[in-house]
Amino acid sequence: MVLKSLKYTLKTALTTTEVTRLYPEVMMELPANERGIHELDATTCIGCGSCARICPNSCIEMVPYRYGNPLKNRKMQFPQIDYGRCTFCGLCVDECPVSCLKMGKTTEIAGWDRKDIVYGPDRIAVKKFSEKEVAELEAEAKRQAEEKKKAAAAAAKEKAAKAKGKENKAKAKLGEGGEA
Amino acid sequence: MSAIQSAFPGSVLESRVESDRRLWITVDPKKLVEITQFLRDKKDFDHYSGAAGVDRINDNLFEVVEILTSHGAHQVVVLMKVKIPRDKPSVRSLTGLYWNANWYEREIWEMYGINFEGHPELYPLLLPDELVGYWPWRKDFKGYPDTTTGERAIEQVGPDGYTEFKIMPHPELIKAGVVPERPKYPTFREREEAEIKSDSEMIMHMGPQHAIVPGPFLLDLLIEGERVKKAFLDVGYIHKGIEKIMENRTYLQGLVYTDRMCYLASITNNEAYCGAVEKLLGITPPERAQYIRVILAELSRIQSHLLGTGEFLTLLGAATYSPFQYMIIDREDIVYLMESVTGARITHTFVRFGGVRNDLPDGFADKARPILKRMRERTEEYMDLLHSDPIYTRRMRGIGVLSPGDARRLGVSGPPLRASDTPYDMRREDPILVYPDLDFKVVTRKAGDAEARVEVRLEEILESIHIIEQCLDQIPEGPIQEKLPKKIKPEPGEAYYRVEDPRGEMGFYVVSDGSEKPYRVKVRGPVYAYMQALPPLLEGAYVADVVAIAGSMDACTSEVDR
Ligand code: SF4
Ligand code: SF4
Repeated sequence: MVLKSLKYTLKTALTTTEVTRLYPEVMMELPANERGIHELDATTCIGCGSCARICPNSCIEMVPYRYGNPLKNRKMQFPQIDYGRCTFCGLCVDECPVSCLKMGKTTEIAGWDRKDIVYGPDRIAVKKFSEKEVAELEAEAKRQAEEKKKAAAAAAKEKAAKAKGKENKAKAKLGEGGEA
Repeated sequence: MSAIQSAFPGSVLESRVESDRRLWITVDPKKLVEITQFLRDKKDFDHYSGAAGVDRINDNLFEVVEILTSHGAHQVVVLMKVKIPRDKPSVRSLTGLYWNANWYEREIWEMYGINFEGHPELYPLLLPDELVGYWPWRKDFKGYPDTTTGERAIEQVGPDGYTEFKIMPHPELIKAGVVPERPKYPTFREREEAEIKSDSEMIMHMGPQHAIVPGPFLLDLLIEGERVKKAFLDVGYIHKGIEKIMENRTYLQGLVYTDRMCYLASITNNEAYCGAVEKLLGITPPERAQYIRVILAELSRIQSHLLGTGEFLTLLGAATYSPFQYMIIDREDIVYLMESVTGARITHTFVRFGGVRNDLPDGFADKARPILKRMRERTEEYMDLLHSDPIYTRRMRGIGVLSPGDARRLGVSGPPLRASDTPYDMRREDPILVYPDLDFKVVTRKAGDAEARVEVRLEEILESIHIIEQCLDQIPEGPIQEKLPKKIKPEPGEAYYRVEDPRGEMGFYVVSDGSEKPYRVKVRGPVYAYMQALPPLLEGAYVADVVAIAGSMDACTSEVDR
């Protein structure tokens, strides 16, 4: 009995792979699918808030953030994640319509107090615009907005004109009718 | 069905045959016991699987759903419903027919306030004494301590010197009669002390923190000398109210909570919940998704059995080698394999309605095959080692024997039932997914003792490896997700779906009222049934064997107190 156990013990000792790792220096190799800390692509996020709505623990809050795309994300609202509550379920990732939210391989979230583990968009963003790009985009957005405004004004004018025309016609008709 | 109708004319109010394995009937509350007795004696419904309460507040009714099945004589599950008025809810108890109806009825009583006539011990099971009388799972429950004031906890020193913190209702509310009147019953301590008959007996406490299970519960043993005369079990220390939480989440959000009921069985819990919702939605997952689900369910069975067995062997003080560390080393491989698919180690949230979250990663089969091969060798090693260990054999053989008849009567399922010579496995009895296409055998043992239960688990690991290997060979290409409606809003209805958890029969009963959130979710867990069966199993055992018996059941309180 003892010999047999020893045989297996020896066998295990000689054949098994590494069992203990020197943790902070040697990290475990994580698979590509790992659900760790979120990674936000701020250049494509449209600020729809789907992620915040699906989260079962309400740990996502939409907060303003500068380095996104004002063309797509008009209000410039981006997700901020409270890792004190996050369960890493991944529902927010599945729900994102433009697939800009992913989960990465980082898993260490320690902080000195509760506020430290609330990660704003700047901490989870892996891709964002630089100051210059943002300025350009903002200018573009402004231009577009103005164009739109103009177009809207023109459309309103036209509409008003049409309505007037219609009204005139109707009046005319009414007049005819009255006369008849 | 027609047999019931002809035997009891006029007492079947409604009936629906969902498939050849599900029968829904609504019966007259007055005839409930007679019909159940008829089903049990004449139609082989010898397994009482559970009961659920539903609060139909809009119709001013309570429903009690009794789930009856058979141990292998046939595969029909009868879901028998009685409807009772809400203002004076009372039904007749089935404890006279099925021993294990006891806890299920107690739970319904404490959650809904439905009285069970003829129940021998209608005491709270999961709730603390302060909450009894509030009936928390009624739909008009406002939350607790809703009726209290700012001064929440009040310190009280009792006559025996213990300090207790109580959350007291506001005195004005008591005067106004808003605070419900508490039913009168003896407390747990009074109940067990009433059983002490002579000076040679004493009560020994094991728990609420004890090493035999990973979770708190109180096991009090009334012992005389070295023998256990009676055992008392108190659960509910970590009651989380998951069933109620899920009523307040959308269907998809509820999935996250099923993981957290038991971290060793999170995939099977996901599976059972998704299966029930899929039934409500009327969809079936594509074949590839079904295969992926089977692979993961079996992987999760392997890791659960490894951890359960390893931990238990450590408690037994397994000599000359340290099985726990060995099994953890092996489990790590399996967990890594699961992580590479789902992205999480234990709380997977992986199964989705009509499919799975993501496909198997590239090269999964090539990675899995050597691990499984090694796993097989190692399991055979363990079996060999355990067989030849005289200390182990002495401590396990013939200990805590559960005869086949008793095992069925007490309502246990999974490995303990199969170790008692009853080939009852949900993968056979109520086949789901692609299990009918796969070749595997249901592992049984004749002895019914603690040793047999561990053997069944170890051999099931081998069977699971065999199943996964077949799946890896057969898995077809194709989509992994069925098309879903944009908003998951099932038609009003109800579904019951059960799977073979690593520990036994896990069932989800989901009621939909046509909204985005489930109207009621009831979890019928396997460990609940083990726990209930523990006191009678311990009676007459030596104190030294209590750990061997209780540990060999591989229980997990987290699921009992879901
Ligand atoms: S992973 Fe889950 S819990 Fe965490 S933020 Fe996303 S949805 Fe919320
Ligand atoms: S991360 Fe995705 S889901 Fe969340 S606001 Fe941005 S686009 Fe919407």
